[in-house]
Amino acid sequence: MLKVDGIESWYGAIQALKGVTLDVKEGEIVALLGANGAGKSTTIKTITGLVKAKKGRIEFLGQDITDMETEDIAELGIAYVPEGRRIFAGLSVMDNLMLGATPRKRVSQADIQKDLDRVLTIFPVLAEFRARLGWQLSGGQQQMLAIGRGLMSAAKLLIMDEPSLGLAPILIQEVFKVIKEINKAGTTILLVEQNARMALLIANRGYVLETGRVMLSDTAANLLASEEMKEHYLGTHANVKEARQRRRDERAGG
Amino acid sequence: MDWTTNLQMLTAGLAMGSIYALVALGFVLIFNAVNVVNFAQGEFVMVPAFVAVWLMSYLELPYYLTCAATVIFMGIFGIIFQRIAYYPLRHRTFLPVVISTIGVGIFLKNGAQNIFGAEPLSMPRPTASEALNLFGVYVDPQYIVIILCTLALLAFQYFLFEKTKLGKMLQATAQDKEMARLLGIRVTIMIAITFAYSSMLGAAAGILVGPIFFVTKEMGGMLGLKAFCSTIVGGFGSVPGAIVGGVFLGVVEVFGAYYVSSAYRDAFAFIILILVLLVRPQGFFGEKIAEKA
Amino acid sequence: MNINAKKILIPACLVVAVVLFPRVVASSYWLNLINLAISFSIAAIGLNIVLGYAGQLSLAQAAFWGIGAYTSALLTTQLGVPVWGGMFAAFFMSALFGVLLGIPTLKLSGHYLAMATIGFGIILQLVLVNAIWLTNGSDGITKIPSPWIGSLELDDPGDFFYVAAVALILFTWGAINLKNSRVGRAFMAIRENEMAAETTGVDTTFYKIMAFALSAGYAGFGGWMFAHSCSHYISPDTFSFDQSVMILVMAVLGGNGSAIGSIVGSVLLTLLPEVLRFLKNYYMMVYAAGIVLIMIYMPSGIAGLVRHMRVSTRLRTWWNSDSTAARQVAASSSGGEVVSVEAIAVTEGSGAGEVLLTVKGLAKQFGGLKAVDGVDMVVRRGEIQALIGPNGSGKTTTLNMLSGLYIPTGGEISLEGAAIAGRKPHVITSLGIARTFQNIRLFGELTVLDNVLIGQQCHSKSGLISSIFHPPWQRAEESAMRAKAIGMLAFVGLKGKEFAQSNSLPYGQQRLLEMARALVSDPKLLLLDEPAAGLNAAETETLVDLLFQISKRGITILLVEHDMNLVMNVSDHITVLNFGRKIAEGTAEEIEKNQEVIDAYLGTEVGNA
Repeated sequence: MLKVDGIESWYGAIQALKGVTLDVKEGEIVALLGANGAGKSTTIKTITGLVKAKKGRIEFLGQDITDMETEDIAELGIAYVPEGRRIFAGLSVMDNLMLGATPRKRVSQADIQKDLDRVLTIFPVLAEFRARLGWQLSGGQQQMLAIGRGLMSAAKLLIMDEPSLGLAPILIQEVFKVIKEINKAGTTILLVEQNARMALLIANRGYVLETGRVMLSDTAANLLASEEMKEHYLGTHANVKEARQRRRDERAGG
Repeated sequence: MDWTTNLQMLTAGLAMGSIYALVALGFVLIFNAVNVVNFAQGEFVMVPAFVAVWLMSYLELPYYLTCAATVIFMGIFGIIFQRIAYYPLRHRTFLPVVISTIGVGIFLKNGAQNIFGAEPLSMPRPTASEALNLFGVYVDPQYIVIILCTLALLAFQYFLFEKTKLGKMLQATAQDKEMARLLGIRVTIMIAITFAYSSMLGAAAGILVGPIFFVTKEMGGMLGLKAFCSTIVGGFGSVPGAIVGGVFLGVVEVFGAYYVSSAYRDAFAFIILILVLLVRPQGFFGEKIAEKA
Repeated sequence: MNINAKKILIPACLVVAVVLFPRVVASSYWLNLINLAISFSIAAIGLNIVLGYAGQLSLAQAAFWGIGAYTSALLTTQLGVPVWGGMFAAFFMSALFGVLLGIPTLKLSGHYLAMATIGFGIILQLVLVNAIWLTNGSDGITKIPSPWIGSLELDDPGDFFYVAAVALILFTWGAINLKNSRVGRAFMAIRENEMAAETTGVDTTFYKIMAFALSAGYAGFGGWMFAHSCSHYISPDTFSFDQSVMILVMAVLGGNGSAIGSIVGSVLLTLLPEVLRFLKNYYMMVYAAGIVLIMIYMPSGIAGLVRHMRVSTRLRTWWNSDSTAARQVAASSSGGEVVSVEAIAVTEGSGAGEVLLTVKGLAKQFGGLKAVDGVDMVVRRGEIQALIGPNGSGKTTTLNMLSGLYIPTGGEISLEGAAIAGRKPHVITSLGIARTFQNIRLFGELTVLDNVLIGQQCHSKSGLISSIFHPPWQRAEESAMRAKAIGMLAFVGLKGKEFAQSNSLPYGQQRLLEMARALVSDPKLLLLDEPAAGLNAAETETLVDLLFQISKRGITILLVEHDMNLVMNVSDHITVLNFGRKIAEGTAEEIEKNQEVIDAYLGTEVGNA
């Protein structure tokens, strides 16, 4: 469904992505992992068109979207649930949800209503608070709203950026349960997460980014079991340990 | 200090405050959309005032037709303004944009003088010129018109922004432009609409306030500055703040001129501005913004 | 041409030009206009100081011009004070009002500041109109006397021109000198990045007020000139917001930050209406359209245009090649007469291992959010300690509290026993803590050398007077500071880049520059906020080497970092935060085996997902 091939992007003066290649097949949940600063957000920003890749190619459903405008990409069927939720704080829950349907052209009111009902069934708390303004919701509720808004676009690919950030453990459970449900109902998901374990528990496959490149790519099960992933996150590679010992000796002597 | 005098002044204050509110609203909408402080906003009131006078006095168009034509004219004007004065500078820092809008203001002022002459013009009134006697209080009927029209406009704005899809998209664009784009909202069109609407608010203000004062090239200057004060006092970036701030300043100004000093009438808005900036810089409804390290 | 020839040639040319000018331009009318232009020039140069140098948008310059004019006019017409006395009074009264404006507007910037200054100007004009007992109101003050030199009354514009020209030369010279001095650099630091200026040791409050006062003084002097020569009559109408706008346009047209540019802008805008008389009423529209076009196409004004032209670059290089700075740099790189200064003093080994910084129960709450929730930490002298933790764990907030950018809502911090929690950043810097920023805060438009010179703000003394007049002791201080800066740049590996504009450096070198700027203040403790962010593997290696070099010289380092390779490699001691609390501390070996830390980073299985 989505093919990202060797993209290189800059974040201001820094080259954040140095050749990222990944793909997402229809019906999957793919996890995009990596430490802070590894390039996860820049990858997503490049896919959604907020940042233009200087090299490389992005293809969605066979169409080249590398240089497409963000608004057009949204209309093609990629929805984005951003890091930090970014719901419209001054608008009501209902407004936020209805705005989510903006990219859908040539669709009947009835269909939109059906999807709205579906979203409200998945997130009953939103139905209860439909008139409340965004800023009045709690962090967890805002997350639900952001996901609901993403769903309203009937997108084929839903990109979720750090849904667990700032949420209490119980809520994280809820959210991940919902993600699995949505996927079962037919939405393909690209999940960016800091909580690698949680993400891999529901994903089919995963990519681990480090300093702008894909370092590991494997099935979720394999990644969960691997020691390599731990090393990438905690900097415990064998050669680092060697270097460390060398430095220590130098410092003690010098 | 009898209550009839006070009520008269209150009405006058509410009327002037309504004008300030309308102009302040135009300010805030533009600022929320594109982060630009439009120092020419006062001229957005002066230009339609001249246009309206010209339509009524020289083309002898009936009042309501004039109003419609002026409003439409300003809508187009707003879009052209955006293209010329804002668009080329949209990525620049704050100083070039401020100076540019000041420049446009000066251009419009002197352009109006060259087209319409240096003599102050008087705008034909839609209302009678004798004061109305409402329960013993003598009130200029135009004040009533201003207050009622402003309420109507605010109601219209409320309806537009809160009850229509377009309005929600405009609000979304103002709150988070990037997120709006991600939802497929055509942000460039939203911005153009915002400029047009803001200019049309100026048209309303110009038509309403024109009959009270003479229409001159200077009428926009102080008006714009005081409206700017209103937005800061009310809370910069807040729509209800702009309205409340405008009305508040209008009322304070009138009472201040009567009870304290009429010579310093113009100063009150700025004195309150400075006080607010010292004590509560975020204004009535604004939010504190802290820079992130 | 050597520097001595330059020192003689330029002043000689100026003297000749000044003496001859009124002979050449014989018309009284035009000389009067020139005097007016000079009066505006001085006001514009003043605006340049507060806006061009210090970055504060003041739209009240005409008000200060007016205060100067009225102060002197009143003193001379009502109290018989001699005109020269009025001159001093004008300058200082305006400067005083500048302070009065500067103090309440300290926390304001951008359009808030602009609006406050506009308000100030309008209120002032209203006072001038209405305080009839003092100012004679709208009728203004007439018959303002001309100054006398001995028995000669300077009432002819040609005679007054000499006074005007000398004043202009002195004020311009002062402004140019100021730019290249400690105070001028402090101003520019505030303009470039106020937060970084504060943490680099610049007392931003003090310097902002100084900038306002100085610029107001300049305008006041211009007002004095206006009152006593050009028209001998002043009224409140002249000192309006529109006039402030005009002065702003003069400064910006000339080029924001260029004193000579301001002169060019002022002369142009004073003489242009005369030259363009035929446009009659259309002049203002042309003027306004010009403003907009200049902002779009020539935002750096005439000075910027000149800078772009290659002729100017060659002229500049020739001019600068003999500057003291250039010679010092050249000398140090040729290796000959090396001004060799030990880049950082090597602190005595004694005291290594003892406690340098103690943090007890540190907390910071933002509304309902507890970013830091009771953290205890100890940093020992001579060590490299890392503060790590996942996103949102409170690391940067802690760092900000240590450097004074945030005031803690609870707890204490003490450096060598002295309590520093809640003190202003520049004070903390002078006590010995320096820092770098996660997203690099350099003084972008300034040169590499200037950035490092500003880093020495705390340990240098030159004030306003010496910054303008450059007495020998100030020049010696500058020389010493330059030598130290050059040495420091060599130490971090930026030798040869001294005159590059700092935001033109590649990213990795910008980081090194920020470190040099922090190191040059001789800190006891160096706080580094994600120093490896955005660096590639090779650059990270260089960074590691540099950190060890710094540590060897006795400077203690506390770094916040995400790059675990770097952290594990370099740290003597690691503290781990999560959700605002400390969850572990110890050596690298201890941390990498700590289950809580592993869970914090890799995430935990939350219930049954």
